[in-house]
Amino acid sequence: MSEPLGKLNKRDLIKTALRHYIGVSTYNYDTGTASGLVWEMFPALRKIYKKDDDLVQSLNNHFKFYNCNPWLSPLITGATLAMEEKNGIQSLEAVQNLKVGLMGPLSGIGDTIIWVMIPTILGAIAGSMGQKGDPTGLFLFLFLWLLMSFTRPYLYIIGYKSGTNLISNLGDSLKSFTDAISILGITVIGSIISTTVKVNVGWQFVRSGVKVNLQDILNKLCPSLLPAIVVLILYLLLKNKKAKMGWLIVGIIIISMAGAAVGLFKA
Amino acid sequence: MGMSFLQASSITLLAYIYNLDRHATQFFGKMPILYGAITGMILGDVKTGLMVGATLQLMSLGVANIGGSSMPDYIVAAIISAAISVTTGKGIAAGMAIGLPVGMLTMNLDVIVKLINSAIAKKAQTFANRKQFGKMQKMIPIATFMYPLEAALPVFLAVVFGKTVVESILNFMPQWFTVGLNVAGGMLPAVGIAMLLVYMPMKRYGYWIIIGFVLSAFLKMPVLGVALLGCAAAVNQFKNENTHNTNVTATMANLNKEDMEDE
Repeated sequence: MSEPLGKLNKRDLIKTALRHYIGVSTYNYDTGTASGLVWEMFPALRKIYKKDDDLVQSLNNHFKFYNCNPWLSPLITGATLAMEEKNGIQSLEAVQNLKVGLMGPLSGIGDTIIWVMIPTILGAIAGSMGQKGDPTGLFLFLFLWLLMSFTRPYLYIIGYKSGTNLISNLGDSLKSFTDAISILGITVIGSIISTTVKVNVGWQFVRSGVKVNLQDILNKLCPSLLPAIVVLILYLLLKNKKAKMGWLIVGIIIISMAGAAVGLFKA
Repeated sequence: MGMSFLQASSITLLAYIYNLDRHATQFFGKMPILYGAITGMILGDVKTGLMVGATLQLMSLGVANIGGSSMPDYIVAAIISAAISVTTGKGIAAGMAIGLPVGMLTMNLDVIVKLINSAIAKKAQTFANRKQFGKMQKMIPIATFMYPLEAALPVFLAVVFGKTVVESILNFMPQWFTVGLNVAGGMLPAVGIAMLLVYMPMKRYGYWIIIGFVLSAFLKMPVLGVALLGCAAAVNQFKNENTHNTNVTATMANLNKEDMEDE
C-alpha cells in the first residue's frame, strides 16, 4: 500500500482518449462494454499502479458490468482515472459507485441526444432532400457529425480535470438543456410526420355518375391526416401495449401488401 | 448492368468499414443515405444510390441502438438495396425487396456476435488475473475486428447472389407485391417516428408536435425551416427554465402546477 502511485500526464490521457474510439465494439450480454473500458484505460492504469497485484485488483474492478453511451463515457472514465491516480486501490469502491451511479443518467442524456435527436433531425432533412436526388442535406449531416466526433477526446480531459464535481455542477443546466432540445425535437417530429410518412388511399366511389376520390376528401379535411393517424396508432401500441418494433415493421409490410391487393392503398 | 468482382468486393469492404465504424469509432453515425450514395458511386450511379439511401434514411428515423439492443440494420439494407436497384435497374422497390429482409435478419447475427464477445471478455479477464497483460491487450480488440463481419457477410451474399434472386422473383412478382412494397416504404417511417415519441417527454411538451405538423402539413414548410423555429423555441425554453431555477419557490410552484395539469 505504501507503494507510490504514478502520475498521469496529458499524453497518457490523449492515448486513453484515442483508445476510447474502440467504443462499444466489445459489447456483450454479461458485462456490457467493460472489456473495452479495460483496454482503453490499461496504459494509464499500468502507469498508476507499479505493483502487479494492485493493477490486477483495479482491472478486475473495471471488468465489472459497464455500459454507457460512448460519447459521454469519457466524462466517467476521465473522472475515475483522476480518482485512482490520487488514492490508488483504496478508491476502487468509490470508483465503482461513481461508474454505476453515472452511467445510467449519462446514457439517458447521450442516447437521446446523440443517437435519437440529432440523427432524426439531420436525417429527416438529408432524407427528404435526397429522395429528390439532392445531396445537400447529406453533406450538412456529414459535416456536423464529423465536427461532433472530433470533440469526443476533449471530454476525457474535462472528466479528468473536474473529477466528480462535474456532473453535480452541470446537473441543473443539463436538465434545462435536455428539456429545451426535447422541444426542438418534438416540433421537428411534427413536421417530419407530414413530410416523410406517405399513406395514399386509392379507393374511389362512383355515385350517380359523379366520381368521388376518397383521398381528395381526406386532403380537404386535413392534409397528411392518414400519416398522423398511423403514427398515433403505432405510438399507442408501443407506449401502452409494449409492442415489439420488429413485429410492427412486419405488420406494416403485410397490411401494405394486403391493402395494395384490394386497391385500398396506392403508391 | 452487371457487377464486376472489384465492385462486389468494394461494396463488401464498405459494409465492413461501416460496421467497424458503427461499433467503434462512430465517425459517421447512422447514415443509410451516405452508404447508399457511396454504393451508388461504386456502381457508377450516385443518384439512384442517394435516392435509395434517402428512402431508408427516412425509414430509420428514430430507430436507435439504445443500451446495446439489437435493431434492424438499415444501413446494411441501404447498401444492398442500392446495389440491387442499380444493377437490376428496376427501381427502389426491387432493391428493398432484398435489402429490408436482410437488414432485419442482420439483427440475429448481432445476438450471436454479442455471445462470442462474452467469451472473449472472460478470456481477457483470465489473462489479466494471470498477469499476462500483453495477451489481455491482444485479446480484447479481436471482438472489434470480428464484429463488422455481421454486416460484411450478409452484404457479400446479397450482392453476389441478390441480382439473380431478385430477377427471378421480379419475373413472377404479382403487382400487389411491388405496389405493396412501395406503400410499405411510404408508411414505415411512421414506426421509427412513433418509437422516437415514446422516448420523448410527450406529457410535458407534446403539444409542440401540433405546431410542427401544422407548419409542414398546411403551410408546406420544409423540415429545415421548422427545425430553425424549433431552435428558437428551445433557446426560449432554456432561458426561461434557467431563470426559474434561480427562484426555487417559483420553480416548485410551477412544477406542481404543471404536474396537476398533466393529470
